[in-house]
Amino acid sequence: MIDDKFLKSIKNLPPFPATVQKVSALISDPDFSMMDLVGVIEYDQAITANILKMCNSAYFGVRHKISNLRQAVSYLGRENIVRVVNAAGTSRYYKKAEGYYIDEAAKLWEHSVGVALMTQILSRKIYGREDNKLFTAGLLHDIGKVVLGEFVHESFQEIMGLVTDHGYSFLEAEEEVIGINHAQLGGEIAVLWKFPREIRDAIAYHHRPDLMEEGDDAIPWLIYLSDQACLMMGIGGGVDGLAYRGLGEVIDKFNLRQKDFEESIVLLLKDLEKAKELVDLVESESKG
Amino acid sequence: MKVAGNIDDVLITHALGSCIGVTVYDPKVKVGGLLHYMLPDSNLDLNKAKKTPAMFADTGIPLLFKSCYKLGAEKKRMIVKVAGGASILDDANYFRIGQKNITALKKIFWKNNVLIDGEDTGQNYNRTVHLDIATGKVVVKNSGGVYIEL
Ligand SMILES: [Fe+2]
Ligand SMILES: [Fe+2]
Repeated sequence: MIDDKFLKSIKNLPPFPATVQKVSALISDPDFSMMDLVGVIEYDQAITANILKMCNSAYFGVRHKISNLRQAVSYLGRENIVRVVNAAGTSRYYKKAEGYYIDEAAKLWEHSVGVALMTQILSRKIYGREDNKLFTAGLLHDIGKVVLGEFVHESFQEIMGLVTDHGYSFLEAEEEVIGINHAQLGGEIAVLWKFPREIRDAIAYHHRPDLMEEGDDAIPWLIYLSDQACLMMGIGGGVDGLAYRGLGEVIDKFNLRQKDFEESIVLLLKDLEKAKELVDLVESESKG
Repeated sequence: MKVAGNIDDVLITHALGSCIGVTVYDPKVKVGGLLHYMLPDSNLDLNKAKKTPAMFADTGIPLLFKSCYKLGAEKKRMIVKVAGGASILDDANYFRIGQKNITALKKIFWKNNVLIDGEDTGQNYNRTVHLDIATGKVVVKNSGGVYIEL
């Protein structure tokens, strides 16, 4: 059972912007109208401002210069709108991230964008198509760290000690010292924010998809693998470093070779450059 | 990759993960360079390697040395230090990018008679590397906040 103090803390988080859910609902109707969509979004100024910061990003490949919301909605296309709106809505939580995991919130956000981008690359490689559910789950997978950071200040040395001297993974050390890990806590946040079950599971099991008992585990495994790639490449790397379990079964599960993985990493590094505007949504204090 | 011959410069690379940071330094002319490569072998994507040779060990390392020669450094005086190549836990049957990055580097150095003067590789934490061009001092900070000089 989840401890009261965590429940309290996640209830203090600002609610997930309703605009994002409204957009997803609208867009899932094949005959959605552009004007309805603009109407829903423009009502939310913070999200609109973020969308305008991102929409000219090379990652979305729009040839026209976009300067207002109406153009953004008509040029980006259905799939990209979902991504942009999710990034615009999610990034605000990372602005407030603090605590032991990251010296700056911007790094955790960069990591989250990296994971979201990698899910699309792997999904194309494995299934031959992209998938926005994965993108959304990627942006949110470490949201538990934003909250857990607050509880860790004093126990940080203890967590590090278990990792360095006793062979614990970071996840296991969090559980041992604080009583919950950032993946479980993130799953609870997703419940509170009324995300569908598959997103919740993807967050809750992103370091141990092998422990999932029921439901489709493909999304958690893909988030897991994307996360591992970002950890290895140091994308938004934090104090937890690479101290997570490598689960060899992922190789057979998706029938991947070392070469596939490395090729995907090259694509990820390219996409991260193209998606600079997404990464920059959460400004870093000292970029170097 | 960065190279410098100005004593006011400090070259820095952040969060290496499984990637490797290689520093070279010629104390006589005070010229140094820092390479941050990501993957062991450029055969993976020759086009990419042409555009960004610093991404791979086998294209990045020669480029690092050559760029320092251009600034007056000489191979026989070069001090070479390496950091990074961290691994995920229990990666025996896994994607071992860190291990492969270390092996690639050692092979290249062995073939070219380059000795490593200081090394902090492996383990499972992130590292940040600083090279001070005035002194040649190389400091590695790991993600637990510990500083070591190589
Ligand atoms: Fe995580
Ligand atoms: Fe992560």
